[in-house]
Amino acid sequence: MLSILLALAAAPALQNDGPLAIRAKAVWTGGGKVLENAVVIVDNGRIQAVGADVAIPDGAELIEHDGVLTAGLIALHGATGAVGETRDGTRPALPEGRVGLAVDARHLDFEALREAGITCILVTPDPAGITGGTTAVVKTAGHTVLRDPAHLSLVFSAEGLSGNTTPTSTSGALALMQNLFAEPRGVVAEARAGKLPCLFEVREREDVRRAIAFAKDKKLTGALHGAALAGEVAGDIKAAGLSVIVPALSIGTPKRTLDAVIRLQKEEIPLGFGLDTPWNHAEALRLSAVLCVRAGLDRQAAWEALTAGAARIAGVEARVGRIERGLDADLVLWSGDPLDLGSVAQTVLVGGKSVAQKESVR
Amino acid sequence: MTTTMTRATGAVTLTTACLCLASAADAGEGRIAIHVGRIVTMAGADIEDGTIVIENGRITSVAKGAKGSWDAEVIERPDLVAFPGWVEAHSSRGMDRPNENIEVAPFLDVRDSIDPISFYFEDCLRQGVLAINVQQGNLAAIGGQGRVVKPYGLTIEDMTIKPASGLKVVASRPGRSRALQVQSLRRAFNELRIHLEKLVQDKKDGKDTARREALFQGRDPDKEENKKGRAMEGAATWKVKDLESVPRGQVDEKQEPLLRLVEGKLMAFLSCDGAISVVQALDVARENGFLANTVLVIDGDAWKAADRIAEAGVPVVLGPTLLYVERDPITGKEIETFVPGVFREKKVRFALQSINPSAQSLWFQAATCVGYGIPREEALAAATKVPAEILRLGDRLGSLEAGKDGNVLLLSGDPLAVTTTVQFVVLDGNLVYDRSKDVRVQQIIEGVEQPNAAPTNTGDDEVDPHSGEKKDKAGTGGKKD
Amino acid sequence: MIAFLTPFLALAAIQTQEPEARAWTIQAERVYTGTGRNMEKALVLVRGGQVSAVTANADEEKERTEDVLRVYAVTAGLVDAGVRVTNWTSVEQSNEVTPNLRVADALDPFALEWDRLLRTGVTTVLASPLDRNVIGGLSVVLKTAGPESIAARTVKADAVLRGSMGGDPSAGNHPAFGRPTDFYSRRPTTRMGVEWEWRKAFFDTALGHNESDPGRATLVAALQGKLPIFIQAWTTQDIRTAVFLREEVQTRPEFAAAGMNTPRFVIDAAAEAWKEPQLLARSRTAVILPPFPAAGRTRENAFMAWNVAKVLKDLGVPVALSSHGSADMEQRLSVQAGYAMAGGLTFEEALAAVTSIPAMLLGVQDRVGTIEVGKDADLVLWSGEPFQPGARVVGTIVDGVLRYEGWTAVQGATAER
Repeated sequence: MLSILLALAAAPALQNDGPLAIRAKAVWTGGGKVLENAVVIVDNGRIQAVGADVAIPDGAELIEHDGVLTAGLIALHGATGAVGETRDGTRPALPEGRVGLAVDARHLDFEALREAGITCILVTPDPAGITGGTTAVVKTAGHTVLRDPAHLSLVFSAEGLSGNTTPTSTSGALALMQNLFAEPRGVVAEARAGKLPCLFEVREREDVRRAIAFAKDKKLTGALHGAALAGEVAGDIKAAGLSVIVPALSIGTPKRTLDAVIRLQKEEIPLGFGLDTPWNHAEALRLSAVLCVRAGLDRQAAWEALTAGAARIAGVEARVGRIERGLDADLVLWSGDPLDLGSVAQTVLVGGKSVAQKESVR
Repeated sequence: MTTTMTRATGAVTLTTACLCLASAADAGEGRIAIHVGRIVTMAGADIEDGTIVIENGRITSVAKGAKGSWDAEVIERPDLVAFPGWVEAHSSRGMDRPNENIEVAPFLDVRDSIDPISFYFEDCLRQGVLAINVQQGNLAAIGGQGRVVKPYGLTIEDMTIKPASGLKVVASRPGRSRALQVQSLRRAFNELRIHLEKLVQDKKDGKDTARREALFQGRDPDKEENKKGRAMEGAATWKVKDLESVPRGQVDEKQEPLLRLVEGKLMAFLSCDGAISVVQALDVARENGFLANTVLVIDGDAWKAADRIAEAGVPVVLGPTLLYVERDPITGKEIETFVPGVFREKKVRFALQSINPSAQSLWFQAATCVGYGIPREEALAAATKVPAEILRLGDRLGSLEAGKDGNVLLLSGDPLAVTTTVQFVVLDGNLVYDRSKDVRVQQIIEGVEQPNAAPTNTGDDEVDPHSGEKKDKAGTGGKKD
Repeated sequence: MIAFLTPFLALAAIQTQEPEARAWTIQAERVYTGTGRNMEKALVLVRGGQVSAVTANADEEKERTEDVLRVYAVTAGLVDAGVRVTNWTSVEQSNEVTPNLRVADALDPFALEWDRLLRTGVTTVLASPLDRNVIGGLSVVLKTAGPESIAARTVKADAVLRGSMGGDPSAGNHPAFGRPTDFYSRRPTTRMGVEWEWRKAFFDTALGHNESDPGRATLVAALQGKLPIFIQAWTTQDIRTAVFLREEVQTRPEFAAAGMNTPRFVIDAAAEAWKEPQLLARSRTAVILPPFPAAGRTRENAFMAWNVAKVLKDLGVPVALSSHGSADMEQRLSVQAGYAMAGGLTFEEALAAVTSIPAMLLGVQDRVGTIEVGKDADLVLWSGEPFQPGARVVGTIVDGVLRYEGWTAVQGATAER
């Protein structure tokens, strides 16, 4: 009861710009580390200190939280803020298309993400032609584009093919892709030089193989997205050094798909979860991880895939994903274990500011 | 068909009754002795070097050294194999059109729809399918009455082996929900019941509408056999009391065949394309008293209800797809189930159906059964004896035995070999098909150019369309027609 | 240990490890080697993925292994040179001439089609792009089973240049009505247009008009005869068009001057080849037949007589049969061989038409097509006489691995070995 009162009481106080101290029963700082009864000091939008015996600065607002404090969740594939703007079907290749410029970072749709404890999202162009452009990492509050461009999107699935314009075939798409990289310019040149990671859009297991072969040939880095059964070719992915964005899972996801995710983790392939907003509800992100945990995925790995691991795939690990001095104060105060779906995000901070408040259901 | 037929010179030896002055043509009819290298009788062991004697259209003797009457025609072909005709237990082909646009139409009869000169029957004859149960298609709830026919004859009467072979009852109609279809079926029987109860009530009330309706429909309700009433018979779970008060001639002709079905006097060919429909269909048959006269015509995954079918004790006619393939949801791999194997295991009698429109592939289906481990004798029976018995023609068709119809196939080899062809067909003791005279076989099988086709270039005097020069004859490889 | 093909072994789990090529001893009543040397009550020994011995001496104890398979008959794995990839993404329609595109890029080793073919005894296939283009691209010769990777299953990459005459490449195209909105208004709409595209591609190559075209090298190789050209032609007029096109290349000075006058043609789906067999004999063109039609005519309204294989064979035309990739009971390759026997081929000729002849047409005869020591251990195990519908494939071995076991998935069947 106390915590509820405190959290509610704290809400208006959080509007202040002064330093803030949060003492939580458990602080998941990342990398599997849990601090009991620890304090996190936030000031100027950054995390200033973390620890059990950190001194609370004078004048700091203190929030006592009878729950778990974690870094904000990161969703890796979606269109929030740019719905209807992520697909340009007028040409087979649009590498310079920048989703980052299409995102309305103040869009109301971000609210649902914030309420689910998601503080960052990787906004991606739709798979159209062989490339629909570059991705961008956007915070769900505060009008902040963290990274743009974040990846060059490259399409290896049949989604990129068309019925009445080029390319209509897998071989044709591959030939166009080769042409694109034959004399690379702009973002393609950056990708070719290893400066910009790629987002490989795949669906079937054989798409994964084709993407890997291409990545090896052109020495590209990045992550695969969209193949539910990617884990069945985990060995190939591991050898290529790529990461995997697991497409959002739902209650009906077959065991075979869940087992495939676990195989990825066993091969120590970096994982994140996609969300594919607006098609999925924001809570589908945490649900995806929980479904994998139920099927046997290591809890720690699942949590990493929602936070620090996702930050690395998005290329923003220097800013978000963990609770660590110097990182952005994107924090979530959970009512309990966040990998228990009964727990809710009671308070969500982005850049040290409260962006969502929820009464506990307890 | 009153005269003897043409025969291949040197292939068939004929001893025609030309000395008999009394109607030479009639004397030969239905009377023939066939001596072959092997008789696959389908009734006990095969007979090597045997003779089949047919008198008056019926087989009188099947044995080694059997003798026909002195004036019978003789077919002397020790190189051939004799086999009873294949029996198609269910087909919706050979009709003007297979379906009528009426939901409940037991009063229809395929007799009015069968086209005797349909290419289908010609093809059946060529492939040795000698009895076909023609049934309406599946676009109805209660279809018309079927008929078992031979693939030979210019009129439907000539062709008929058995009229009114059964009603088509459809439990799963293509393109319609199962719920609605089963509802239609139940309603059909409900309406029969309401009609009958109304007749009884009208009789009690002294109304004469049923008699006048009968007169209007062109029937004579006052004829002796129509005047009698009869209490409702049969095993249906419902009964109409006092039905004996209603002269049978006053039952609406649109309902009358359905009443016969309920009273157990007609067979039903009950069509189901899935296991769920089987359960519903059997319930409807049980409630309405025709379960004992039901043949299930199944397709799709209906085999999954094999236990219920076995329990109900009804025979089945299997759909064309003998190997059912489904995807394992866990592994994503395909699982194959051999459908006849399932029914054999459950001891359900099954007959086979041809695969496709014109191949008349009963032999192929039977051979496939052998490939999948069903004993040869049973596989052959599933396309001869069993369908004959299912059609309640077991005493006439399905095997070569004394007393049965004089129908014989003369095959070039084993009935299940891919290279075997039907050389001759004897129907009711008359030779009705001779492959060497079959012009269409020459066109279809032997690649003989049809007479009205455009002239072909043999390359002889051909001018090269590109060079404009006459082609070098030596360049034809020396092969010329 | 005798492997009695344990029920549901093959279905147990998808995540099983890649099986090893085992050392098998196969005891068969009949061994049809396809080399003219058939044996009764013989042994086929398999070692390291290859056939190590074929012997009538059943007492060769020292050679025998623990793993024994007893079957009625053994043939080489069937070869189908006419498999259609039904996937629309296998052909790049934005250009009607795409000689350099590889169908292998569009194939999925996980697709169930390969398993289906394997169950019918087909172990090697030529997979070609969907016939929507005039020149569709490069086909690939593959095994139907093996590691789940197209590369690992490839027997011969870029084996054949694939194209089509007749109606398929022009179907659905149309002139631009007012405003051209897509490429369908540029592609050919008639047989004339299709034939013109072939000739243009060939002449441009010989005359050097397509120096910058990425497909040029492929066309050069094809015209020089280094790469066979498989042309789909169902009807007699399309067969003639193909034969005359080849003769034109052989005789026109432009091609001779460029050293590109020796193309090798194979006519695929030549249903009406029986109408003018001399034409094919004269031009020494091999033929692949489509599946025999169940009811009258085949595609393109072509009329296929049942003796077509026999007519062509008698004139010395190499004939291969094809299922077009179907595993349907009445259309599978083994049944096609049976139909060809019904049309007059002997068993040996029918066997060749589904094994050694297609292997020869594909240039993989040194690896597959017959049972010979040193060749790939691709074997079909039969319950009875092969190609009879009353016999079935009870096992398929690819590269020494028992990839399909017939009795496992079938209920109600009894097996005697």
